[in-house]
Amino acid sequence: MPTLFEVQRALQRSLVERDGEEAAAYILFDGLAPGARLHIYRNTSIGALTIALRLSYPAVHRLVGAEFFYGAAKIFIKTEPPRSAHLDEYGAAFPDFLAGFSPAASLAYLSGVARLEWALSRALHAPDAAALDMSRLFVAGAADHGRIVFVPHPSIGFIQADYPVDAIWRAVLAQDDAAMAAIDLGSGPVWLLVQRLETGVDVMRISKREWRFATQLCSGRPLQAALDMAPGLGAATVLAGHFAAGRFIGYRLETAP
Amino acid sequence: MRAGRCAERAERGSILAGAGVGLRFRHHQAVIDSKPPLPWFEVHTENYMGGGAALRDLDAIRRDYAISLHGVGLSLGSAEGLDPDHLARILRVAERVEPALVSEHLSWSISGGVYLADLLPLPLTEEALATVCRHVDQTQNFLRRQILVENPSSYLRFRHSMIPEWEFLAALAVRTGCAILCDVNNIYVSAANHGWQASEYLAALPPSAIGEIHLAGHSVRQLDGGLTLRIDDHGSRVIPGVWQLYSDALSRFGPVATLIEWDTNVPPLEILLDEAARANSFLESARSGFAHADAV
Repeated sequence: MPTLFEVQRALQRSLVERDGEEAAAYILFDGLAPGARLHIYRNTSIGALTIALRLSYPAVHRLVGAEFFYGAAKIFIKTEPPRSAHLDEYGAAFPDFLAGFSPAASLAYLSGVARLEWALSRALHAPDAAALDMSRLFVAGAADHGRIVFVPHPSIGFIQADYPVDAIWRAVLAQDDAAMAAIDLGSGPVWLLVQRLETGVDVMRISKREWRFATQLCSGRPLQAALDMAPGLGAATVLAGHFAAGRFIGYRLETAP
Repeated sequence: MRAGRCAERAERGSILAGAGVGLRFRHHQAVIDSKPPLPWFEVHTENYMGGGAALRDLDAIRRDYAISLHGVGLSLGSAEGLDPDHLARILRVAERVEPALVSEHLSWSISGGVYLADLLPLPLTEEALATVCRHVDQTQNFLRRQILVENPSSYLRFRHSMIPEWEFLAALAVRTGCAILCDVNNIYVSAANHGWQASEYLAALPPSAIGEIHLAGHSVRQLDGGLTLRIDDHGSRVIPGVWQLYSDALSRFGPVATLIEWDTNVPPLEILLDEAARANSFLESARSGFAHADAV
């Protein structure tokens, strides 16, 4: 008699890798071939995961069409099946997969749109966190301000793309053909900040210098070091904007090396 | 050790007095705005593991309604153990939502670290029973509450299964003190697919362990060679045969908190309320002790 472990591994191979011979040997015929019975479960599984991907990548889905999306998802699911039952977190590797997926090569901006959509999906599902109250910052003495390391809101994400993927994403989801036609794919790279606000998830285009400053602040670099890397930015105004938008939820002071 | 848990069953007569419906995202706003006359909603636990609007909506809804958390991802039957991260996520949602009921499935979904996104059937063996019992114990201890375990719909059986599914479920309830979420549609579907007697299934379940009933629609697929397979797709109204089996279940179990599930091609909320009203008429009859023969 096969162990539970053996049965489950065999079915997993059948559903994911389509290697169903061992699994079929464990299953009663009962009027329908075991392979056909396994196929019912495989279909449900792929269907559920494709829906999860479609929910995270609605603009990609519209850009390539349902049939193409389903075909790409099927291959992606086989190579990168989910590692947990928390499907909100499934699909992080889909943009990289699309970047290397030759049938999609003619849509050069597709993986960029996918990267933006993953950041938006992450932002949508990020845990709730209260914004940093500015008055708490004054607890740190002025001499310590340079050592402040901010904790970013968990919904914050940064995207850099070679195409205007934010404009493409908006036009595609709005099904706005005129806006889509007006997009100049040669307009150069964009630097984007993604965040969940009270009103929903949003993407903002910012300058390259602002983007670099914000990514430094949000990746654990102390304030002074981030300022040193961004001369002439008008950092006071930019920082005030970050505070007003609730992009930080806490801070610590970097300890002297 | 388990005696105290029996008292929790009394809740079904108060908080969960009538039929509830499965709540999906598309109905959040309609429920918040129109406050439909229902005592409770059931949600998929996995849909509320993050933050943002979904959880904020549920916070608003649970001010007016009891909530049941129905998990689809814990994989109680996995030979390789429960995912401690997933268990911790369920606890976090339960602490936030303070649900009236917490349920999961008699199935498995994870093997070799891969989540298969479906409720797969178990070989019904002593080994599988011991595994599920261990994991139900672990879950109940971790969540510090009783859980309900639901019978699945299935489309295959294993050659080496030794225990009828109804006996497996009854033994699970006795050994762990868990309650049974009796999905009447799933019994109907599995009985049709495998040639079981649905009445025998119901008769084997201990009435005192039944904490909730699920009702849903299913589809019928004609296969080559004249074979018919019923697929539990939760995409239509409850069929007459399932209402009849529900009536039989209530005759045996007494009035039990009942839920209308609808997950694919989700209709307007009014249709779900209509199905819930139908279930309520059966519950009323069960309460007054009259057999409900005319409604089907």
